[in-house]
Amino acid sequence: MNLLQHLQTEQLRHITRRHFLRDCSTGLGGMWLASQAMGAGNSMPQHDPSRPLAALAPTFAPKAKRVIYLHMVGAPSQLELFDYKPTLQKFDGKDCPSEFLEGQRFAFIQGTPKMLGPQFEFKQHGTSGAWISDRLPELARHADKLCIVKSMQTDQFNHGPAQLLVHTGNQNLGYPAMGAWTTWGLGTENQNLPGFMVLISGGRVPRVGASLWGSGFLPSVYQGVQCRSTGDPVLNAANPPGITRDIRRSALDSLQKLNRRTLDEFGDQETLTRIAQYEMAFRMQISVPEIMTIKDEPESIHEMYGTQPGKESFANNCLLARRLAENGVRFIQLFDWGWDSHGSNKNEAINHGFKSKCDSIDKPIAALLTDLEQRGMLDETLVVWGGEFGRTPMQENRGGGSGNAFVGRDHNPNAFTLWMAGAGVKPGISYGETDEMGYNVVNNPVQVRDFHATLLQILGFDAKKLSFPFQGLDQKLIGVKPAKVVKDILA
Amino acid sequence: MIPKGSIHSLVTLALAGSAMAKVDFANEVRPILNEHCTACHGGVKEAGDVSFIYREKALGKGDSGKPVIVPGDPDASEMIVRILSTDPDEVMPKPEHGPPLAAEEVATLRQWIKEGAEWGEHWAFTAPEKHPAPEVKDTDWPQNEVDPFILARLEAEGLKPSEPADRAALLRRVSLDLTGLPPTPAEIDSFLADESKDAFAKQVDRLLDSPRFGERWASVWMDLARYADSEGLGVDRRRSVWKYRDWLIDSFNKDLPFDEFTIHQLAGDLLPDATLEQKIATTFHRLTQSNNEGGTDDEEFRVAAVIDRVNTTWEVWQGVTMGCVQCHSHPYDPIEFGEFYQFTEFFNQTIDADLSEGYPVLRVPLDSTRNAEVNALHRRIEKAEQDLHAVRQELRSQTRWTWPTGMTAEGDKTKLSVVKHEGVEEYRTVGNVTQGSTFKLNIPVADDLGTVTALRVEFWPDDPETAAHTPEWGADLKQIKVHLVGQGSEIAIPLAEVIADEAHPLFNPNASLTGKGRGWGTYSKTFGPRHAIVLPKEPIDLPAGATLRVTMRQGGSILASFPMVSERGRVAITNSDVWAAHLSDPRVVALQKEIADAKSKLKAIPTTTVPVMKERDPAFARSTHQFIRGNWLEKGEVVEQAGTPGIFPPLKARDGKPDRLDMARWIASADNPLTARVAVNRFWLELFGVGIVPTPEDFGSAGEKPTHRELLDTLAVRFTDEMGWSVKSLLRELVTSATYQQSAVTPADLAKRDPDNRLLARGPRQRLTAEMVRDHALAASGLVHHETGGAPTHPPIPGGVWKPFSSDKWDTPKEGSPDRYRRSVYTYWKRSIPFPLFITFDAPPRELCSKRRIVSNTPLQALAVLNDPAFHECAKSLARVMKYDTEGSLDEKLAAGYRRATSREATPARIDDLRALYNELVASYEKDPTTMKDMAGTPDGAAFTVVASVLLNLDEALIR
Repeated sequence: MNLLQHLQTEQLRHITRRHFLRDCSTGLGGMWLASQAMGAGNSMPQHDPSRPLAALAPTFAPKAKRVIYLHMVGAPSQLELFDYKPTLQKFDGKDCPSEFLEGQRFAFIQGTPKMLGPQFEFKQHGTSGAWISDRLPELARHADKLCIVKSMQTDQFNHGPAQLLVHTGNQNLGYPAMGAWTTWGLGTENQNLPGFMVLISGGRVPRVGASLWGSGFLPSVYQGVQCRSTGDPVLNAANPPGITRDIRRSALDSLQKLNRRTLDEFGDQETLTRIAQYEMAFRMQISVPEIMTIKDEPESIHEMYGTQPGKESFANNCLLARRLAENGVRFIQLFDWGWDSHGSNKNEAINHGFKSKCDSIDKPIAALLTDLEQRGMLDETLVVWGGEFGRTPMQENRGGGSGNAFVGRDHNPNAFTLWMAGAGVKPGISYGETDEMGYNVVNNPVQVRDFHATLLQILGFDAKKLSFPFQGLDQKLIGVKPAKVVKDILA
Repeated sequence: MIPKGSIHSLVTLALAGSAMAKVDFANEVRPILNEHCTACHGGVKEAGDVSFIYREKALGKGDSGKPVIVPGDPDASEMIVRILSTDPDEVMPKPEHGPPLAAEEVATLRQWIKEGAEWGEHWAFTAPEKHPAPEVKDTDWPQNEVDPFILARLEAEGLKPSEPADRAALLRRVSLDLTGLPPTPAEIDSFLADESKDAFAKQVDRLLDSPRFGERWASVWMDLARYADSEGLGVDRRRSVWKYRDWLIDSFNKDLPFDEFTIHQLAGDLLPDATLEQKIATTFHRLTQSNNEGGTDDEEFRVAAVIDRVNTTWEVWQGVTMGCVQCHSHPYDPIEFGEFYQFTEFFNQTIDADLSEGYPVLRVPLDSTRNAEVNALHRRIEKAEQDLHAVRQELRSQTRWTWPTGMTAEGDKTKLSVVKHEGVEEYRTVGNVTQGSTFKLNIPVADDLGTVTALRVEFWPDDPETAAHTPEWGADLKQIKVHLVGQGSEIAIPLAEVIADEAHPLFNPNASLTGKGRGWGTYSKTFGPRHAIVLPKEPIDLPAGATLRVTMRQGGSILASFPMVSERGRVAITNSDVWAAHLSDPRVVALQKEIADAKSKLKAIPTTTVPVMKERDPAFARSTHQFIRGNWLEKGEVVEQAGTPGIFPPLKARDGKPDRLDMARWIASADNPLTARVAVNRFWLELFGVGIVPTPEDFGSAGEKPTHRELLDTLAVRFTDEMGWSVKSLLRELVTSATYQQSAVTPADLAKRDPDNRLLARGPRQRLTAEMVRDHALAASGLVHHETGGAPTHPPIPGGVWKPFSSDKWDTPKEGSPDRYRRSVYTYWKRSIPFPLFITFDAPPRELCSKRRIVSNTPLQALAVLNDPAFHECAKSLARVMKYDTEGSLDEKLAAGYRRATSREATPARIDDLRALYNELVASYEKDPTTMKDMAGTPDGAAFTVVASVLLNLDEALIR
């Protein structure tokens, strides 16, 4: 059987619709019930080509309607935030036991490194007793909402490939991002906005760039749309100088009239789709800038998030994430650059740059959780926080080590922490365990692909079945290796 | 779950002709097996030891001990028994794996077994044959040999071909298809005025001869070649590869036959007396990504590039998906796991190794008329280096080396020990190593040696056996010094020369004498023991009891991480006379002069570089292994010899051991069943929007079947045979067919019957490609600037997009500068920040080989053409054309604009629409002139600009 065939047929089976522009506001659960009633139930999305982003029902009743994904680019140290290791403290400053070095591939460690104890105070929080360090005091108040997975593992230990693996399930370029899979599978709820939107802070774009939110071999309409904090919020959203909204409307009316003549003459259904897309573009010119303007938010909200309108910041992006979520965007992806704490300079040191990075995210994330909860959205939104790998319990010892003014850790693919909150996951639990040094997982390992399977499950898909034929394989977000849903953390 | 709809009916019809014949395995049985059986009983899994890929295996007994298929006896065949079983534990497919077979499928299988269960090769894996043109009723319609095949099928389906397209629309279609640009008004006029019978053929010839032809088709090939001007992955630095792009344009323009075009790209470097152009062509496989992110393993990304070369070769020329065979045998097609790695060996012996410098690179003159001159200089250098190496190899064979006894070793930042290995003392590092360490080796000299004429420095991998296939990090001999240490005295010995163990080292070994430069070494990874010979200026006279101290400063870290420090090595000395006289040997002096002379001549010529394919010295061949489950760190069986999969015609090796050139010739051969078919299908796809095989990426048994197989096969044979692999001849044949020249008007019933126009009852109507969208707007508005070839250009890019991870400048020429308006094929292509317009219009990021662009239709496309400042500039220019350059009434001005944007005459109704808009706009701008600020000086100028933008956004302006 050839699914590509199917896709092509669908793509080319043009359906004339008079009301191709109406918004879809049906809830997912309702749609799922409706699709069940009609006897549909497979996981190959059935798209109407004139409305490729129209909301679709997943395979089974979803727990989450949307995802807000907070990626700390560079890989934050789990040993300074969530994975408390008192034993490591005892080894602080001692030579690394040889069993940790043998047979390991490191990105940067040379010579015999010394162990590095946790650099900050840890305390248990909430009734769940989650260990969280003093770097994230605001987030710690939400401890009972968090589902902390301490046993994440990846097989990539360089940033580029590891980031790709987290977002596309493959360490190579050219595969669709989670958000693309999600919008391909589910469409989106607001036809005035793209279904998958990307916000960036920290001053730099992640190194593999747009591939982290690309659509790979899926149709390009499912790629993430990067919103910008400077210039147009979406590329080319602003009219050129001299063209007002009214003039654009007049021009568009004529354009559509002329295009309808072409449609009548040639009968090409793509022309009809084009007419629809020009209307969507016209609406996006208003809806996107509107949604991306935070200055009209009440002062209390600005205070809670620590936002400053007009500035590029993680805080602004958290508030924008809430606004996008509120407006039916399916997958909201944040990237915050600057977490690669090797200790090679002040910005990259755990005792300097890392501290200010923590300060810059603590309040906004806490505010986002509070805000979503207040608005009754947390139970339909899955919030994910993580990096691309973890960091070593050894102090990095570049070039033989110097005065250790800047404390750092190397990349560790063997163990890292990721947390989720909101829809679909058990609140107030910690899952998985690392060894006493925090170097390796000893209990309940979760591979990146297991996380993907779990995420799709929460969105209503069997990850083994959500597939797209490409290069002779039924490609899946989870890849070809066996992946399991982490049932123990599902709500 | 698959809607069988229209496609199924096509397939059924295709089979109808053979309904009375014997069941055909490839057409009727293989699809059933692929759909229901091979997922568990195929190339990936052989559940119960049963597989349906090969006949031999299918006739065997599975774990059950019962014969799976008994030819002639369906009832005795376990396969049928299990398919028909009602026992849920027995029935196949297992209920949880899939639905039971349909009754007619079972009947087909039974009939096939009854008839002997003969295996048949998949159609695309057997040689194509030329078919006579089928009989057609409407004998007036066909214009060439393509048409009867199309018409016969239409007639069989009860369909009629469409009327010929109107001439202007046809000229637009063929101009955009062949050159990527719309016809100019003058070209349209001249075609419309030409009443001769061959008027269209003349236009086709003009377009095929245009220098714009190569630019258009290079763009197509660049997707396959994953062409980009940056490295990809990690840092994504700029890299200089544009001379390859120019080679492509030139090759299409001069109609380099497709077989040569193929051989040059895959193995041009190995051709006897290769020209510079043939070497540049090999950049094709150097367009793989490389990773210069700190801390990344060069071998990992070298291997990734090799695998990519295998996959890309198969995808581009064979239309076979090899990617899956990296991990296991092909799930559907008879290509085995081991065969993948045999093919890998063709690519595993090149010098390139994900080095930060991109080596090996070829210096190419900016002025291509000097290509031959530069190539001659390259050859002189290579020849002299080779001769010099031969002289030295001869001396090596005459040298007896003395290994030290009682050597001591000390390192400053890295600890050393001395161990004896196979009777030879060597140094080893202890613990982790640190960059820039200095090693001191104290070598007591035996009294009977007398003098030392040469030293031999060896760098060894820690574990040579493993390193042969999984290399270790290498080392640089940053600087070497030799001292004679006596009692209380220490005399520095002046050194003259460091001689590498290969003819063409990437770096000058003599840099190890001065410490400036990388010097001799095993950078960046080492597959085995390597050595250098170090010559003192004068032979060293040794007093009794003296010690020779060899001081070796080791290299720094590369990729911010890996110290180029030798973890293991040894030093020997010799008193052999042959080295004493070496540097004054007239042959050596002459060769060194020859090298220096040619190099200085080369230096005087302005050049750029391209990365190229180049073989390693066979003395240092890498050991190629299978990767267990596709993981490069887990090596399996060794690959003895390169080879091609057994189901294809055998490869002919020039001498015993097959190499890359043999493989290239195997592909570019009329005997290869796939090459010509895949090529013909690709060109067909570009013109008609859908291939004869609708899945150009998969000609295997999981791909779609051809809609017109006899036509494809006939064209394939004619392409290699009567057309002599000429791409221009093939394209001429396709576009001069009546099929191509049909009108694209799609009546509603036809749209329903054949939505993707596979039967070709009408002409193609395709959206412009990403490159064409921009080029078309530039051409329609009169801005385009034509200049063939050159370094990448940087046209306007929307603000806020260009934020490269590492420094890389995007300098857009000012308004009015020609380079601002060059064609899209020249636009700088950075993988991590692809040009936004291209991505919006479905260009791939070119990280991997891309066989087909899936055409989308999105609001972001609308925003781009409406608002992108570059398109606004085009609108302003088109407005000027209407307002100033067009004589006559308003209606005539509007008609001229419409014609530039769509190549067609505007109907009166359309003129009415445009006039109404224009008048409304003029009124509006007159009413509030402030609104036109920064766009136009007068209300009519502003109105023309907005009208021009509408024209450039017309559906008709975006299609061909």
